[in-house]
Amino acid sequence: MNRSTRPLVATAAAVSILALSACAASAPDTSATGASTTITFSSYSYGTQGAAGDGMQVLLDAFAEAHPDITVVPEAVPVADALTKTKAAVAAGSPPDVQQLGYSKMAEAFATLPVQSIEEIAGDEWDAHVDGIAPGLVSTGEADGTVKALPFTVSIPTLFYNADIFREAGLDPEEPPATIDEVEDAADAIVAAGHNGVYFGLLDQGKSDYLTQSVIDSAGGMTVDDDGEVVLDSAKAVAGIQRIQDLTTGGLQPAVGIDDAVAAFSTGDLGMFVATTALMSNLQTGAADTFELRTGGFPSFDAKPARPTHSGAGLVVLAADEAKQDAAWEFVKFMTSEQGYTMITEEMGYLPLRANLATDDEFLAGYFAENTLLLPPLGQLGDVTPYRSFAGAKSNQATVMLQDDAISPIILRGADARQTMSEVADRIRELVGSE
Amino acid sequence: MTLTTVPPRAVREDAPRRVRASVRPWLYLSPVLVAIGVWIYAPALFTVALSVLDWNLTTPPTGFVGADNFARLFRSADFWQALAQTALYALALLPFSTVIPLGLAIMLWQRPGRASTVYRSLLFLPVMMAPVAVAVSWKFMLNPLVGLANEVVGWFGVPPVNWLGDPSTALVVIVAVTAAKVTAFNMLLFSAALSGLDRRTIEAARLEGATSWEITRFIVAPQLAGTTALLGTLSLVLAGQWVFTNVTVLTQGGPDGVTDNIYYRIYTLGFEFFETGTASAAAVVVLLVFAVAGIAWRLVRRSHVPR
Repeated sequence: MNRSTRPLVATAAAVSILALSACAASAPDTSATGASTTITFSSYSYGTQGAAGDGMQVLLDAFAEAHPDITVVPEAVPVADALTKTKAAVAAGSPPDVQQLGYSKMAEAFATLPVQSIEEIAGDEWDAHVDGIAPGLVSTGEADGTVKALPFTVSIPTLFYNADIFREAGLDPEEPPATIDEVEDAADAIVAAGHNGVYFGLLDQGKSDYLTQSVIDSAGGMTVDDDGEVVLDSAKAVAGIQRIQDLTTGGLQPAVGIDDAVAAFSTGDLGMFVATTALMSNLQTGAADTFELRTGGFPSFDAKPARPTHSGAGLVVLAADEAKQDAAWEFVKFMTSEQGYTMITEEMGYLPLRANLATDDEFLAGYFAENTLLLPPLGQLGDVTPYRSFAGAKSNQATVMLQDDAISPIILRGADARQTMSEVADRIRELVGSE
Repeated sequence: MTLTTVPPRAVREDAPRRVRASVRPWLYLSPVLVAIGVWIYAPALFTVALSVLDWNLTTPPTGFVGADNFARLFRSADFWQALAQTALYALALLPFSTVIPLGLAIMLWQRPGRASTVYRSLLFLPVMMAPVAVAVSWKFMLNPLVGLANEVVGWFGVPPVNWLGDPSTALVVIVAVTAAKVTAFNMLLFSAALSGLDRRTIEAARLEGATSWEITRFIVAPQLAGTTALLGTLSLVLAGQWVFTNVTVLTQGGPDGVTDNIYYRIYTLGFEFFETGTASAAAVVVLLVFAVAGIAWRLVRRSHVPR
């Protein structure tokens, strides 16, 4: 080869390599047709520090042992970016096959992403599998007349309290407050003892409005009515949010974000913390050598029964390939089985979503005999109100608008509750009605 | 008069050589030109095209919408607030990009030695740390209930401050956290410029009895005018991008939008709400604002140049 032809040969070689790479990228995925099927799983619990991340690994290991013919490749994604990343992945043509998706993002995912019907993929196995799962949670995953999401890691808001601070403030830790009035009285005593009184975690890290809905529903209102109309500016809804604002303006609730409240509660500077049971393991770790952690039910408002709304995530399938869909169903079936839900509760601290598990010696009866912190929220599981989404493809944007432009200024900065919620409700109506 | 004629055969022989000579520079430049075309101008044109389409990134564009995205943008109070905040960031960070690092660099330059090197290294340390890690550390320190910042101000009798949750302090905090890094980096650039100064004029001035301040004011500072102008311009253009990480980690544009800026707004519109058309329209507006500002600046400078 002479000197002048070398560059040509080198260029030809480079082009050949690129062409071969392109062929490899566009070749059909043989992993789905052979004995072993590989599926990707996007999860916001996977890879995180603490019980959620560790527990997810235990679940994945158990599935791998039970199904050696299916390889699950987990992909970690921040909770606030779960929908964003998947949309970008869909645009790039490589969506995950299965995703752990928060309920506040689900309506928008159903409207904009190629989410498959799990009910149809399951076929004959469907009825037997969902029998025993809390029915309200199964129906929350419905869209277009079919179930597209099965409940996976679900929690409800509960009242965490520091029993040591209760004693210091002259309160009885055996009798946690059960109503918003009692919460206010207890917070008053705690503040008088030199601590921060109470914090309602309405300003969720993932910008979900599940706790906002819990407060509004418990006060007799709704964010979205049965016809899908935005009604968050009704008198009852405003009154509910106003009660939480009163705690701040009265000096009983610190005007801080939820991360700051978690830190304060963990270091023993906050008496009561109303937040999702998903925080249980983190708060237990923080409380370990510092104070006695206890839980109570979500408080009721004005003699009405408490109506906590669940938070958390369901599993959705995005795989288009039939073999991958079958593998995805085996994965979803395992994760939402009695064995899967038992591990989710034991390892990750989420609520068991099959009613029989908590009392069955084979599953969680022993666990609940030793771990009493989940009993109050478990007792309220029957009162749970299904999560309601704003309608359509802009539901996530509407939820962020509610949280950032109404709840945050009202609760943290004393904005006029009636006027602010009315203005934001109008903007949300315009937003979801503009599609 | 003597006429020199070139034989036709010679012209024909020179033509390919001239073509080769004129093509050769373009061949040398082509890798860079292709890269700039593919990675800068093509995306810019694509952004302009997206600004007149309705597209949510996951489904095919629903069609040409003309100026609707721009109209929606201009009706939005959030957009104007974000633009104003971007200008505010640029002005607030300007002294931390120019005067302050210049002063620090000159002070360290005038006092060479181990202490100066250690001090410079300490100042530069935040620049080398991962931006998100730095921002998360600040989040812990600024916790209004159990953070170190309130512990420190408490020693002076100052009541606890909600640094990131109070609209009156959040912007100041974002600017301060960003300024710590910008100042350190620009101080290093000024130090590099100082090392290239003509020391003969400084020595001559000293022999003539000039004071240290006079040397700094009339000899050192003028020689750094070019560097100062460059860093000032970069600051005005890039300030909104420099604060992006801190805004994302610490405040997400809140409280009440006071820490928002146009870049974070574009990110939110495009990748949180998937209003790709509106986000692209905002990006086009930013491009136009800088283009107009650039042209205006050139005209002003031209009018001040003596003919």
